[in-house]
Amino acid sequence: MTNLIETRDLCRTFGTEETKVTALDHVSIDIEEGEFTAIIGPSGSGKTTLLHLIGGLDEPNSGSVMLSGSNIADMSGNQLSDFRRDHIGFIFQAYNLIPVLSAEENIEYIMLLQGLGAAERKKRVKEMLAMVELEGLGDRRPSHLSGGQQQRVAVARAMASNPDIILADEPTANLDSKTGISLLEVMRDLNQQQNMTFVFSTHDEKIMERATRLIYLHDGKVEQDERK
Amino acid sequence: MLIFKLAFRNLFRNTRRTVLTSLLISSSLIVLILVDGLMHGMTNVMVGGITHTLEGEAQVARKGFRNDFEVEYTIDDPASVISQLEENKTLEGFGPRVIIGGMIASSYNTTGSLVYGVDAKQELKVSRISEAIIEGQYLSGEPREILIGKPMAELLEVELGDRLIITAATVDTNEITQELFRLSGIFEFGPEEMDKNLVFINLVKAQSVLGMQDNLHQIALRFMDPEDAKNKELPLFKQLTNEENEALGWLDLQPSIGAMIEMAGFSTAIVGAILFLLTSLGVINSMFMSIYERIYEFGVAKAIGTTPRQIIQLVLFEALLLALISCVFGLVIGYFLGDYFSIHGIPMGKMEVSGVLLDGNMYTQLMLYQFVNFPIYVTLLTLAAAIYPARFASRIVPTEALQRAL
Repeated sequence: MTNLIETRDLCRTFGTEETKVTALDHVSIDIEEGEFTAIIGPSGSGKTTLLHLIGGLDEPNSGSVMLSGSNIADMSGNQLSDFRRDHIGFIFQAYNLIPVLSAEENIEYIMLLQGLGAAERKKRVKEMLAMVELEGLGDRRPSHLSGGQQQRVAVARAMASNPDIILADEPTANLDSKTGISLLEVMRDLNQQQNMTFVFSTHDEKIMERATRLIYLHDGKVEQDERK
Repeated sequence: MLIFKLAFRNLFRNTRRTVLTSLLISSSLIVLILVDGLMHGMTNVMVGGITHTLEGEAQVARKGFRNDFEVEYTIDDPASVISQLEENKTLEGFGPRVIIGGMIASSYNTTGSLVYGVDAKQELKVSRISEAIIEGQYLSGEPREILIGKPMAELLEVELGDRLIITAATVDTNEITQELFRLSGIFEFGPEEMDKNLVFINLVKAQSVLGMQDNLHQIALRFMDPEDAKNKELPLFKQLTNEENEALGWLDLQPSIGAMIEMAGFSTAIVGAILFLLTSLGVINSMFMSIYERIYEFGVAKAIGTTPRQIIQLVLFEALLLALISCVFGLVIGYFLGDYFSIHGIPMGKMEVSGVLLDGNMYTQLMLYQFVNFPIYVTLLTLAAAIYPARFASRIVPTEALQRAL
């Protein structure tokens, strides 16, 4: 198996000298293609920070992140955006759909950025909506969808660009148990059927149960790394 | 298409703010159209007042005559000049004149005056003497006719048909001569200087009384296209200007009016600059408010792969839509207001500018460029004002923006 994600001595601090908080302290992990990984730990342990650094949404104070063999620190702003668009899918705790676009349009948006033709975009939107079991709800705006439905749209959006990695930050935190399980099943199926790599930051035991690997963070350090 | 939808929907996410900003932009356009229209209207009234009242759009005269109206400064070879004017196709008309200072006396009073000998028929094409008649009638060619202004008639205590005597020095012998006239008409141009001092008699009579034979002091010109008069390089001017004579357009004859027109253009530019500055601040404020409200969305958009350049494009596209909507609104309102004021005028009170009486209303003059150039300026301004907010949006750090969503 090849390493899709490699972090080396990642350090990230926030605040000034007086109020300095160390979010990550020399974190080095390797994640292989097709893994279903959960980064777990108490609040403030650095899970979200690690996810953001892996996704190139934030810059480390020191250390490096290699994605598919490319060091993201070497990329310009536009190159990094292009890389995220083509290789990484994000799912956020608060769904973060664009409120003025319908479910279909939210999914279509990323493919528009990729420059896909209209016909192909429409076809793929249809497939994505079917995959997350939201057929018939594509024309609804996020405000007319339940939390679970919005998170399904977010999953479909993350999948639409056919990325190598899905980074999901507490994706089930705002969902009820049943909806959370249903959504996890969708993601697990994608992982198993398409060998897509998933990295979660979570407190959710349902995710931990299904994860093939658990990385336990505490005070910004990897305390435990367990493959099931 | 999706980007268009996104920009359009973003624009109407906060309808009240968008409408207020749009009103600000469209108001600037409306004010700009009206101010420019008004300046043009005022300029036209002033230029028309000068060129059409008496002076003509251009004049031919002996060099130096304009300085002190010396009677012996007559046009060199007037027959040749008139022949050239008659052949010229760009002229609507011309009016030959003699002009001489003299005394005018009635049975009760005497006053100084500037006597114009004019060709009654030809003068109709270059001046508004006939239109200014308020009592009696315009010159018919009868030798003893005389027209004076209302204030002069009051000073001399004369009525139509009363006798008036002009005393002047003859041009040929410089002897004092007197000639009797009967008041045939009273005029009122408006500017008091003109109404108090000018006297019009028939050209042939003036030439004979003053011993001028066929000589002339001045020929006033009126062009088919008034713009010709502004052209200093006009072939006709060059053709008529020689060592003795000069042919000049009204811009050279009345340089103060030319300066005033320049000032009017400058005033429009200043008003435009102030409006543009205020509008820019409004647009910048509105765009920033809009960006701050959805800062997390920009964070998400960047997180999922929207490049900073695409974010800039999106914000500028929103600004473009805002500008276009505002321009349509501004053009419609600007047209109707401009059209209304071009007919009914804006009450400004009577005022005299450089000897030209502007009547109580100022009328706007709508021109095509106001409806083509100004919206382009306003759109470019809106886009320019949106660049700073757009760059700000493009630099939003996704992690910081995403924290706002939690």
